[in-house]
Amino acid sequence: MKDRRIVITGLGVIAPNGTGKEEYWHALKEGRSGIKRVKRFDTGQFKCKLAGEIDNFTPAKFLGQKGLRDLERTSRLLCSAAKLAIEDAGLSINHENTDDIGVCTGTTLSSLWNFAQFDKETIQEGPLFTNVALFPGTVMNAASSQVSIRFNIQGFNTTISNGYSSSIDALKYAIDFIKLRRIKAVLVGGVESLSLVNYSGFYRLGFFAGINGEELSCPFDKRRNGIILGEGAAVVIIEDEEYARSRNAKIYAEVNGIGNCFEAYKMGKYHPGANGLKESIREALRTSEIGVSDIDYISASANSVPEQDRLETMAIKSVFGRYAYNIPVSSIKSMIGETFSAGGMFQIAATIGSMYKNFIPPTINYEMNDKDCDLDYVANKSRLTRINNVLINNYGPGGSNAAFILSKWH
Amino acid sequence: MSNNYEEEIRNMVSEILEIPIDKLTPDADFFRDLNIDSLKAIEIVAAFEKKYRIIIPEQDIPKIRNLRQVVEYTAPLNKEPLS
Repeated sequence: MKDRRIVITGLGVIAPNGTGKEEYWHALKEGRSGIKRVKRFDTGQFKCKLAGEIDNFTPAKFLGQKGLRDLERTSRLLCSAAKLAIEDAGLSINHENTDDIGVCTGTTLSSLWNFAQFDKETIQEGPLFTNVALFPGTVMNAASSQVSIRFNIQGFNTTISNGYSSSIDALKYAIDFIKLRRIKAVLVGGVESLSLVNYSGFYRLGFFAGINGEELSCPFDKRRNGIILGEGAAVVIIEDEEYARSRNAKIYAEVNGIGNCFEAYKMGKYHPGANGLKESIREALRTSEIGVSDIDYISASANSVPEQDRLETMAIKSVFGRYAYNIPVSSIKSMIGETFSAGGMFQIAATIGSMYKNFIPPTINYEMNDKDCDLDYVANKSRLTRINNVLINNYGPGGSNAAFILSKWH
Repeated sequence: MSNNYEEEIRNMVSEILEIPIDKLTPDADFFRDLNIDSLKAIEIVAAFEKKYRIIIPEQDIPKIRNLRQVVEYTAPLNKEPLS
């Protein structure tokens, strides 16, 4: 694979448990959860009350006041994370390089709320009196486009709406663009925002923790009974190594292997063999320069859904064999909730922290062992250790699967 | 044309354009002086239409280029704002 090296040079995070990379990394290291009672809307009619909500978000701090009126919540989150990432990478966007920079974003549910609002007004006010300001936000690529507009980025702009694996699928798309020499740097992001309609949808599907058990995000624990929804945005800047060197950028990590696989099965059901996830992990390993024994840590996609955590465990054991028991595995979704399409980007942002702060984030709320989930889950307390190569998994019941290997830059 | 009505319109446009009230003089041209884009222009029109329950004909929109013209155009249409 190593025809061109692709590196990560910047990141920006707006997470339920921390704003900015340092605060986010610190929270993960301390095992601090961002899951709390929902404030944005009334949960009175639901049995569930919790979410990974970002309740202290002040976009003006990152973006200034001007223009905020035109940005709905998802765009505010993504633009704020993008601003942090651009600053972190020391990337100056100007007329000379603007065509060489692209934007690629993973998001799936984020426009639903805007759409619902617009639709509601059309019905309530009449079709001639709708609020046109709401209309641009009703499309899936609204947030990604706002990033290009705000930061004057003229290269390609793509939104990947592929459910749970959107973040890593977006990353793969961006990597391919760089490999083809069609672009030099890409802001790759993941974003989802919490709304009443998303909450209601997942609730009615019976996907939430708390409907049949304790309302708790406890991946791999025997008590697990569903997800707790989360929100937020994370953006990383990936670049061609030559380009990063030419502008003397600091380099965090290198994109090593990446694989994705779509296995259509049944609506909302997990494939009982988790073949897609296994294939994605194998492809990630195959396209990397390392072997199974070089993986120091697996950042799991486990989200406290009984099937999901069991099948991911099974897939890891299937690919890594007996060596699986030597690799620490943890799920940050125990602390930020299921952020859906943004999940992979939060995992990448967390993993860069692990590499530079020498810790593995814990799977919190882990108390009761499950015989089907018998790996080393770094329970409740972070583990201090050096990390070089990390496998990041992304998958869910939708049939989309992705795996990514990130390596520390030396 | 009452001062109240003019003030109300001025507040509404100022909010949409994110321009301080004192900069929104009656003769400042929306496009040339205030640099607004076409989406903002539609938003102003739509806000009026919604608030006063009127429909501004398409061909009249380009004629309304500053606050004074907005007031002059809309005032005769509405004696009593609905909201």
